[in-house]
Amino acid sequence: MNDNPLIHIQNISKVYEMGGEQVFALRDISLDIYPNEYVALMGPSGSGKSTLMNVLGCLDTPSTGIYTFKGLDVNEMSDNDLAEIRNREIGFVFQTFNLLPRATAVKNIELPLIYSGVSSSERKSRAIKVLQDVGLGERLTHKPNELSGGQRQRVAVARALVTNPSIILADEPTGNLDTKTGIEIMKLFRDLWLKGNTVILVTHEEDVARYAQRIIRIRDGKVESDEKNTVSQYSQGTE
Amino acid sequence: MKISELGEAARIAIEGLQANKLRSFLTTLGVVIGITFVILMGWFLNGLDAALESTVNLLGTDVMYVDKWSWSGGQNWRKTMARKDITYQQALEFCKKINTAELSLPEARKWGGTIQVKNKNITGISIIGVPFSYANLPAGTISYGRFFSQFEDQYSTNSAVLGWNVASTLFPDGDAIGRNIKIGGRSFEVVGVIIKRGNMMMDFVDNQVIIPISTFFGIYGSIGRSVSIAVKAGKAELMDEVRSETTGLMRGIRNVAPGEEDDFSINETQTFRDEVQTLRLSTWGIGIGLTLLSFTVGIIGIMNIMFVSVTERTKEIGIRKSLGAKSSSILFQFLVEAASLCFVGALIAFVFCSALIFVIVQFIPQADFLTPYVPPQLLLIAALVSIFVGILAGMIPAIRASKMDPVEALRYES
Ligand SMILES: Nc1ncnc2c1ncn2[C@@H]1O[C@H](COP(=O)(O)OP(=O)(O)OP(=O)(O)O)[C@@H](O)[C@H]1O
Ligand SMILES: [Mg+2]
Repeated sequence: MNDNPLIHIQNISKVYEMGGEQVFALRDISLDIYPNEYVALMGPSGSGKSTLMNVLGCLDTPSTGIYTFKGLDVNEMSDNDLAEIRNREIGFVFQTFNLLPRATAVKNIELPLIYSGVSSSERKSRAIKVLQDVGLGERLTHKPNELSGGQRQRVAVARALVTNPSIILADEPTGNLDTKTGIEIMKLFRDLWLKGNTVILVTHEEDVARYAQRIIRIRDGKVESDEKNTVSQYSQGTE
Repeated sequence: MKISELGEAARIAIEGLQANKLRSFLTTLGVVIGITFVILMGWFLNGLDAALESTVNLLGTDVMYVDKWSWSGGQNWRKTMARKDITYQQALEFCKKINTAELSLPEARKWGGTIQVKNKNITGISIIGVPFSYANLPAGTISYGRFFSQFEDQYSTNSAVLGWNVASTLFPDGDAIGRNIKIGGRSFEVVGVIIKRGNMMMDFVDNQVIIPISTFFGIYGSIGRSVSIAVKAGKAELMDEVRSETTGLMRGIRNVAPGEEDDFSINETQTFRDEVQTLRLSTWGIGIGLTLLSFTVGIIGIMNIMFVSVTERTKEIGIRKSLGAKSSSILFQFLVEAASLCFVGALIAFVFCSALIFVIVQFIPQADFLTPYVPPQLLLIAALVSIFVGILAGMIPAIRASKMDPVEALRYES
């Protein structure tokens, strides 16, 4: 494991004001994530998993605490800086896929490249390349409603990968998929990790978490446990 | 802002327009009407300017006309009425004495004359009597044939030079030369035809017949007829000098006592410029008022539809932001959408105006000083105005979109 963490958070809290009452979505969380780790984030509904992912992905800012990403102080960053970090360093995969319904698979994947100013021809070839990498080389011009759930999620994964981000954040990526398709997507993440990517993945299911190398359990906005995965599904997965 | 985002913004805008054709059309209606006013106003002013230019050229920028009447009106009507006529003798005396002018000549006119060809009668023709040197004025430019000669002038022959409309009405085949027409019961030979000069302000110049001035007086007599004098300075710079000599000479000839007002007017093309300016300003006044009104309606409509569009696409905004779109990119995207909407409105207005203008010029003879098409520079202006209006209308919705919190936006379910 590398010495310098990719992500370092220290005593992070996130508070929502609800009708004069304070709701703590995160309380005093501290974590280090290192390059090429594969982390599963688990916990009951409402425990703060999504909130934590949003903070890690620079979509949201914590109420208090320190967050450094690759040694840079995220709290100091402007909205534009955060957008740039999201664009270059982070690849999001969501439970509901979050593809643009009117755009083809390739166009969807090109989106992040548009915002980093990549030329049209390069965008296209890179989008096609990652789409092939996730096994959808035959579905370039399909729109989301012409694809199955598993295929949509592959497009979403391809979109997360196309910028070569430092970390992939997946919030319940198999939540809307049946078991078999879920396993396929999990294999995809495992392959990414084996190729050297850093992956953080939120899940409810122990089966899914078993693919990861490290499991962090959250309850009521606090880290309940943070340990190496002993039931190492990932090593069996390489068959 | 990156180049790649420009294409993306344009693509989104076009997609949006296609997806909501009827809605887009209805909301652009205000802009369509606004741009229509802009185009029609510009077209009219354009025609007016062209007409002014041709009038000024017709009369000559270096020519002044000494007359009993003032072209600009505005003066005391009673006083002008009380002025004595400028007689042919006074005019001749003036023309003999003037030094600074390149050319000066008397001009006698009969309004509403009648001419006959065989059994055809045309009325409303203005008959003017001038010396042969009239050929040297811009108004005497020949299209075909020739002007009557010094000889014909001196011997009061019955030679006639026709205005363009007279010639083309009587002799549509273009064979006017050598033909006979009757003026005041006498037979005249047509020797030439003047080029088409007329326009909105000076349509009578194409409806006139020019004959030698001595012949003119032979038919119509000189009593009760005020002659005007055309004075050609030769160069525009000499106008001041010529004007002051003219004033002095005329006052002398007409015995105006020192300290008394002139009992004649010196008319110049500048008068037309002043009058057109008044017309231009009132056109602007009305046009701008109507334009602003329709743009206000248009802007409200577009702003409204843009708010709807922003709300409908909350999730999309969230997705784009999560992928690294900056606030400025989102702002830009919606501004382009609003501007495109207005630009489409401008295109519709352009097509509509082109048809309207063509029909107007085709069927209304008085409108023939106007171009039968939209002047090209107006296209550019209309496009720019529409884009500006779009940006204005889209600004507030676009700012709202750009300021959305990405997490909230992603959570939005339509
Ligand atoms: N915008 C908000 N306003 C108020 N409270 C919020 C807001 N977002 C999240 N919360 C609260 O923060 C807590 C954590 O929410 P979060 O979405 O992170 O849970 P989660 O662990 O992802 O749950 P699930 O497994 O159901 O997705 C919840 O109690 C939730 O009600
Ligand atoms: Mg969640």
